[in-house]
Amino acid sequence: MNRALIAILAAIVLLPFLVRPAIASEIWIFAIFGLGLNLLLGYTGLLSFGQSTFFGSAAYVAGWLMKIHGLNALLALIVGAGVGALSAAVVGYLCVQRSGLYFIMLTFALNQLFYFVAYQWTSVTGGEDGMPGIPRPAFLGIDFGNPVAYYVFVSVLFLVALLVMRRIVESPLGKILQAIRENEVRAEAVGYDTARFKLAAFVIGGAFSGLAGVLYAMLFGIVPLEAIGFVTSGNVVFATLIGGSGSLYGPVIGSFVFIWLSESVSTLWARWPLLLGVAFVIVVLFFRGGVVEAWARFSAWRERKWRSSRQTG
Amino acid sequence: MLYALMGLGLSLITGVLNIPNFAHGALFAIGAYLLASVANLIGNFWLALVVAPLGAALLGLAIEYLGIRRLYAAGHDYQLLFTFGLALILSEAIILVWGPVGYSHLPPPVLRGGVDLGFTFYPKYRLFVMAAAGLLVLATWLFLEKTRYGAIMRAGIENKEMVSLLGIDIHRVFTGAFALGAYLAGIAGALTAPIRGLSPGMGVDMLGIAFVVVALGGLGNLLGAIAAGLLIGVTQAIVAAHWTEASSVVIYAVMAAVLLVRPQGLFGIR
Repeated sequence: MNRALIAILAAIVLLPFLVRPAIASEIWIFAIFGLGLNLLLGYTGLLSFGQSTFFGSAAYVAGWLMKIHGLNALLALIVGAGVGALSAAVVGYLCVQRSGLYFIMLTFALNQLFYFVAYQWTSVTGGEDGMPGIPRPAFLGIDFGNPVAYYVFVSVLFLVALLVMRRIVESPLGKILQAIRENEVRAEAVGYDTARFKLAAFVIGGAFSGLAGVLYAMLFGIVPLEAIGFVTSGNVVFATLIGGSGSLYGPVIGSFVFIWLSESVSTLWARWPLLLGVAFVIVVLFFRGGVVEAWARFSAWRERKWRSSRQTG
Repeated sequence: MLYALMGLGLSLITGVLNIPNFAHGALFAIGAYLLASVANLIGNFWLALVVAPLGAALLGLAIEYLGIRRLYAAGHDYQLLFTFGLALILSEAIILVWGPVGYSHLPPPVLRGGVDLGFTFYPKYRLFVMAAAGLLVLATWLFLEKTRYGAIMRAGIENKEMVSLLGIDIHRVFTGAFALGAYLAGIAGALTAPIRGLSPGMGVDMLGIAFVVVALGGLGNLLGAIAAGLLIGVTQAIVAAHWTEASSVVIYAVMAAVLLVRPQGLFGIR
């Protein structure tokens, strides 16, 4: 048990008292999504700009199965994680062979491929209108129609996802991924098949994204077309970066800030993506390193001040 | 040919500056909207065709000078976030200024109607666009291959440190390359406006296509961008004639297929 985990537990308990349960749930769902991206971005050094491919695909497939075939919640989550992992395996296979800018552009272009399939395949996905009528099936006799019950469900899954991700990044696999981030050529020279490890990171990240996608569809009862669009991919990158991609808890903080920010500005003005864009630009120009680093800088400053005041006083 | 033009501009920007430019599609859309507005305002299509891309180039100049210049050392993630933020701002600004509903813009009277080519009937304006885009691609190629400035830009793609060691201000090269790329995006947008009409989403659609062209053709590989642009454009036209719904998907499917066979792209060596 460490301090970060205690802080997160406290946040889980307190959050429903501060914001609507739907928004509170969305924060943890987005955090699961961010955890998946951060395995790629923060730990492996792969900037994927196509995470909504896995998020959206899983939401559509699991949503469809729940809506038409009455799939139960647990199976839907397993299916979603599976679809996320599978689509990530396909995308990852094509992308990991290239690096740098090519890699970023390919993840985006393949994201567009899935987007246009969803856009055109209106008989299943509903195209621009989205896929409505996703149920929230009961699980173990608990009715998730109650927003608070669903919030608890989401929070528990988030905690499980967080612990699983912590286990992964501390495992030998996680260490190899970090070695690839630091110096891919050297990792390869030491004898690791780096392409295969990068693909593994993709698949695991995809499963997390898929899980988040299904939870999102169940939360809002609809899979909007934007769920698979590039803006969603951009948002999760933004959330992870403002949280600080270097740490395990970065995306959690980032998702907290991002959802809170977007929820509060989206009610102000229909053109709120403009404000979001401005926020991106400001963060990049002035607050690089994210909240975690800003906090570290702040505490370092405070400590210096405390020490100097003790010396003088 | 328009795809080649878009790809060429993006290839130049990504190749010289080594940044992922997600605002490229927005510059394309700005070019289109500026053309429509200026043409309606002064009633002269040709003058608008000159002015609109210059507007996009000026915007590109400002973006590089005020923002991207400070981010060369920052890593791709922040550069991406910055250009993505710009893309959001520009596309929302388009909605604010010109409204969320798309509209069409007619080509100038001289270019309305079609020409009988013997085997098929082809709209005059499309022929004009093909010729204009072809000329622009040729002009850009000549500029890059045959002039001193072009040589400096190509050298910038190869080795930035070397160029600055030779006493050339690499930052001015960067600004120039970004403005030129923005100009090409703007003029591609301006030429497209009378064919496809205008909508706030046009930038993003084109951005994906431009990325495909660059991914297949190779970063900074200008002939590659032209070849890939033609390949994508022709494939899409053929598919669109038989199965309209699939025409936007096929671009990416072609890319995935090519990458399966040749992971390094059509001409790539890396």
